[in-house]
Amino acid sequence: MSVDGTALDIVPRSARSEAGNVARPIGGLGRRLVVVLIALIAAAVIAQSFYVVQARPEDLITGAHGMADLLSRALPPAWSEFGEILWPTLETVDLAIFGTVFGVLMALPLAVLAAGNVTPARPLYYLARGIIALTRAVPDLVWALLFVTAVGLGPFPGALALSVHSIGMLGRLFSEVIEDMDFGPVEALTLTGASRLQVFTHAVVPGVLPSLLGIGLYRFDENLRSSLVLGFVGAGGLGFQLLTAMNLFQYQTVSLLLIATFVLVMAAERGSALLRRQVA
Amino acid sequence: MSVALGNTAPGAEIRLAVRGLRMRYPNGKLALDGVDLTVRAGELVTILGSNGSGKTTLLRCVARLLDPTDGEVRVGGQDLAKLNGAALREARLALAMVFQRANLVRRRSVLANVVGGTLGRNRTWWTALGGLPADELPLALELLRKVGVEQLGHQRADTLSGGQAQRAAIARALAQRPKLILADEPVASLDPEAAEEIMRLLRQLAADSGLAVLCVLHQPMLAVRYSHRVVGLRDGVVAFDLPAELCAEHAIALLYRDLAA
Repeated sequence: MSVDGTALDIVPRSARSEAGNVARPIGGLGRRLVVVLIALIAAAVIAQSFYVVQARPEDLITGAHGMADLLSRALPPAWSEFGEILWPTLETVDLAIFGTVFGVLMALPLAVLAAGNVTPARPLYYLARGIIALTRAVPDLVWALLFVTAVGLGPFPGALALSVHSIGMLGRLFSEVIEDMDFGPVEALTLTGASRLQVFTHAVVPGVLPSLLGIGLYRFDENLRSSLVLGFVGAGGLGFQLLTAMNLFQYQTVSLLLIATFVLVMAAERGSALLRRQVA
Repeated sequence: MSVALGNTAPGAEIRLAVRGLRMRYPNGKLALDGVDLTVRAGELVTILGSNGSGKTTLLRCVARLLDPTDGEVRVGGQDLAKLNGAALREARLALAMVFQRANLVRRRSVLANVVGGTLGRNRTWWTALGGLPADELPLALELLRKVGVEQLGHQRADTLSGGQAQRAAIARALAQRPKLILADEPVASLDPEAAEEIMRLLRQLAADSGLAVLCVLHQPMLAVRYSHRVVGLRDGVVAFDLPAELCAEHAIALLYRDLAA
């Protein structure tokens, strides 16, 4: 507003051209054409995906009979084998715990180095970013295959695979949290003459810890699901039992294992959601 | 409301001496162009100026949150502009800063935030690992009492109102036992009543504790009412440096001429 109160000028200067005209948005017809074009492109992308994956909806109808047969053979679940799946269940949970804990321990220092606002040196920043990108780009299933080859069958290669993949996933998320944190308290404590380590532990850590804990808990949830799949390539746990039961056509055992899997995943999901709320 | 300003002794110790300070940002913008400024013990000096005039840049250069391109920033006889590393950390013990948004560690208690102001003189393994120096707690409590929020010591910082947070931030600054306080728009986000209280508190600290206070404000009325001197900054240059009682309305209006045009 001008100081003499004669004009209420609400158009910012930056929005005016040199000739004094106000910049105009795309007109109504042009806007509609753009929307139609985007809709056509989206439809084409979806249609080509149906073609490439050879989607045949009729097969779902003809396959219903087979599914019903499978279901009848899977019921009732083999409750008598409950005692035998306790150890593989524990293995599955421990795979996720090991993978998450070591993933967090390795990801934390890498995240500090890979966060542009706190990294101590540029070469370390690029090195940390490279490690994070590599461990994240390779799927955990591939890491499991590599570790099974290296250290043999069993839960250990699975735990290693989850750890390494978690480094990448957590490292990236942790570094983003650090980069997005409120830098005000860091400046305030820097000006007290505090050392870099003091500033880190008193300003950075309290600022980002709740987010890091939340991400870590979410990662545990993810790792639990992944550990089930890793069993398919020989990394132990419920996944390995599931593969064995399928190969031996023991569908009642399969249904018991699926129930155990469902309970485990739901418990982990609810548990980690509860803990995340506590630390928020 | 009348405020007893009192006069600082002309011969009082110089706590901050800025000489020929220049600051050019990497994009080429010259934010400060040869700024000279002195703040003495017991004096509250306010800097006024429009947005982009260089006020905050000046404060951040003094605190060495920015590296000035040229010039001197003398605090306690040392030129901060020339220091780095451990020497800079040591020299920073003499100055404390109060920020526009208080900049408290939100998830920590008010008391822990105030004790945080003592970290510079408590560089131990315990504090490096995140612990607080227990023997500073009585001082922190006393300072919270001094700024009028002693009952909030055990509350989390993110539960405070704007005025309470700013008082806690001032207590943290005092915990440092500084000789100079820099205040960057400390009342910008406060309601008029809280703004008056904070300015009164800064004024009182200067008068009672002999602190030198350099404050950036956007409220000419508050500047004139509470400061000993008002410095006008325009396009990175000191336009005037006058005792508050001589700071005429037209001189202040000149600082904001572009806004009024």
